Amino acid sequence: MRKPENLILIIGALLLLVIMPLMNAYGTAGSPLHVSDYTINLWGKYLSYALLAISVNLLWGYTGLLSLGQCLFFSLGGYALGMHLMLKIGKLGQFYKAGNNPLELPDFMVFMGKTELPGHWIPFHNFWFAALMVFVVPGMVAFLFGWLAFRSRIKGVYFSILTQALTYAASLLFFQNKFTFGGNNGLTDFKTLLGADLNAADVRRNLYIATVILLFTVLLLVKWLLGTKFGKVQKAIRDSENRVLFSGYATTTFKLFIFVLCAVIAGAAGALYVPQVGIINPSEMTPDKSLEAVVWVAVGGRGTLLGPVYGAIFVNALKSWATTAYPDYWLIILGGLFVLAVLFTPNGMAGLPQQIKDIIAWFKRRAANRHAEAAAATPA
Amino acid sequence: MLRFLLLAVLCWAAPVLAQTMPDSEVRTKLSAAILAEDEAQEELIQTVGATGSPLAAEILGLWRQGSVYLDTTADGDKIPFIKKDGASLRIDTGAAFTPESPTEAETSSKLRKSIRTALDLMEVADPDPKTRASAIQKLGGTQNDEYLPVLKVRLEMETDKKVRKALEAAIATIDLTNEDDAVCIAAIQKLGTLKNLASMDTLKAMITSEEESDAAKAEAQKAVSILESYSRWVNAGGTLFSGISAGSVLLVVALGLAITFGLMGVINMAHGEIMAVGAYTTYFVQNIFGGGLSLSMFGQGLKIPGMNLTGSAYQSYFIWAIPASFLTAALVGIALERGVIRFLYKRPLESLLATWGISLILQQLFKLVVGPNNVSVSSPTYLSGSFIVSDVSLGYNRVFVICFAAAIVFCTWMLLTKTRLGLFIRAVMQNRQMAACMGVRTERVNMLTFGFGSGLAGLGGAFLSQLGNVGPNLGQDYIVDSFMTVVVGGVGNLIGTVCSAIGIGTAAQSLQAVTDPSMGKVLALGSIILFLLWRPGGLFPTRTRSLEG
Repeated sequence: MRKPENLILIIGALLLLVIMPLMNAYGTAGSPLHVSDYTINLWGKYLSYALLAISVNLLWGYTGLLSLGQCLFFSLGGYALGMHLMLKIGKLGQFYKAGNNPLELPDFMVFMGKTELPGHWIPFHNFWFAALMVFVVPGMVAFLFGWLAFRSRIKGVYFSILTQALTYAASLLFFQNKFTFGGNNGLTDFKTLLGADLNAADVRRNLYIATVILLFTVLLLVKWLLGTKFGKVQKAIRDSENRVLFSGYATTTFKLFIFVLCAVIAGAAGALYVPQVGIINPSEMTPDKSLEAVVWVAVGGRGTLLGPVYGAIFVNALKSWATTAYPDYWLIILGGLFVLAVLFTPNGMAGLPQQIKDIIAWFKRRAANRHAEAAAATPA
Repeated sequence: MLRFLLLAVLCWAAPVLAQTMPDSEVRTKLSAAILAEDEAQEELIQTVGATGSPLAAEILGLWRQGSVYLDTTADGDKIPFIKKDGASLRIDTGAAFTPESPTEAETSSKLRKSIRTALDLMEVADPDPKTRASAIQKLGGTQNDEYLPVLKVRLEMETDKKVRKALEAAIATIDLTNEDDAVCIAAIQKLGTLKNLASMDTLKAMITSEEESDAAKAEAQKAVSILESYSRWVNAGGTLFSGISAGSVLLVVALGLAITFGLMGVINMAHGEIMAVGAYTTYFVQNIFGGGLSLSMFGQGLKIPGMNLTGSAYQSYFIWAIPASFLTAALVGIALERGVIRFLYKRPLESLLATWGISLILQQLFKLVVGPNNVSVSSPTYLSGSFIVSDVSLGYNRVFVICFAAAIVFCTWMLLTKTRLGLFIRAVMQNRQMAACMGVRTERVNMLTFGFGSGLAGLGGAFLSQLGNVGPNLGQDYIVDSFMTVVVGGVGNLIGTVCSAIGIGTAAQSLQAVTDPSMGKVLALGSIILFLLWRPGGLFPTRTRSLEG
């Protein structure tokens, strides 16, 4: 199993990191060798989702913690960067142009009748502070919640239900206008990132490349982590936490570390997602979105390195296609896919080749048995 | 003169009011009053008012607006009439006729005032105590001392306790304007002892008013503080009641989950959609009892004929909808258990995902079958309205929710503890293998338990349809809350679920009363999460020696 995984990693990296951007930059429009800006942007979105899926898989597939709060961390990272982007709109905002926003507040604040920038927004003028917050905010929330939860030995479905409730509460909070994060509409209409125009094709391509680089870095990190002793303890916790605990390992610390790490990965994914999609709003952090991310992992294959990436790309591509081709039925298609994936492919897409091999082997065995029986029956 | 007249009329009229006068007599009196002049007219108007007949009220009202006409016949007789739906109706007989030379019946301002008084009095003497009390309250609110004698006379003969209270309050409110300080102070004290919340604003205005004496101001201050503390109690009572009813809604919604999740350990994310099945069933039953409904199912038109019932037969639809929604939801639940969940008993986290897939499919099916928009289910008449206990308004539907929740908790408890099936359910949930060894058909018990839990969810849905609209996303709004309720109560513990539902409902309502509704919800959820982080077992944790318990 190991060798094809490495091969796929290398081929995937080549394809996504080198060939696709090259085809986008130098292919002439219309030729089969050209990748459109739209496609690059779409894949940028899929790959940030893939990062989110990896964080879910690291928790669920390898540590046995089904967190339904990963979307919250994803959105928190997105909001942190979104706040910076929002402040950088500055003179390009509608209200500034109309001349009634001399302080260059984000438009939604003027709309809400605010006259000055709330204190916690001020440091976000600085890009590096915002970039730091992309990791710190989700990390802190995960640390606090995880510390309380693991200390009380909350596990299994209770952990899922509690993280779901946390996400739900947070989305309700962000939906409120007075929470100063744009309420329903969230943060949108971004213009520039580090002085570069976010709508320009080359900026989008660079964002895409950044996403691919982060994706493969995280993949290699996970691969390395799983090979270490830490990774073994992690898998042991998944399989029997009590045994690990009684062998003298502080499982709480292990779980807390992995939970925070996953929150940080999800936050980074969110920060890459926001400038590419151009909007972040509370509907990104509803419990449904977290469940969707879990389903990507289930479809792709939990507990496998590349499964979550396959799942995120496949399900989202299917979704993009189904929402336009069968707008009335796409929920049924998706729902049906989840049910079938859970019932019939416990190892997901990544485990499919093995599953098919097993089935073929079973058929062969059965045929061989029949043959043997027939052979045994004939002489008599 | 007018006051004396009023008194006289009222004293004479009151005993008569009990029996209603025949319309013909009222009509004779009315036309006599319209044709009479000056003082006699006033007197006659009051006698008409004293009849208390709705017909008299209607025509007096028209007269006041100037919509009564006079027709002078060829022989010089005058016939009063009104115009209704384009026809002219004689007031004295009620018959339609063709007027020869119609003119408007003249009304002077004095006359209009006199009619007005008569109309007010008619309301004060209304046979229905509720109308009477609200009319009295209205008169008191005007602070017009012309009404004082009427109210006082009424007070002497009033027997209904609530109306008496309203009368006393009205008289006191009018007395507030009295120039005599002693009367005024007495009135203020009276309002304080009566705990009349309606007069709070007037009293507050008096404290700052410059016209009042210091003694009166001090008394008003005292009365206001009494009223304020009383109003706090009333608000607390109101919050408690709405909290208990919100808790009962939560209980009805979460009870099914307490069975499927609490007892069976299945994470059914489609629980909310099964509730929606119950709610839609209620909608269908209502429409079948009414005019039927046409669906565009998968783009195919489908017409379900209705029984076109009216009156109490139609109103009884809800009685039928309750078992119907239980059965439909139970059937959907059984199908779900047989089709998906039974393969996943050993993988609870995966049952979460599969049932979430089911919930997406069901949501889309609702959209395809009934339509993406919310539909509304009209409450039967016996569930709308409210009654008031010491200024706290109790809605019938809320009271019904509470009783209903109590009833189904009782039934569930009976089923689980007093029946053979209940015994099997408990046995299978405690130790599946052992139960199977003892000859319990565990597969069948699983199916029935899940069906029962789903049926309870359907009942919850039938109930939610009475409190709000029914839409494809109905279940989504309740799913997190119901899971929280079950976990807070302590999984597998019915009493715990009851306590936590009532507790969460009351806490959420109080928080919402302190802040705004959406913020209250966030705070409530936040405190639940913190509580569970501190006490993961909930209110009544299951004690077990098992390590993985």
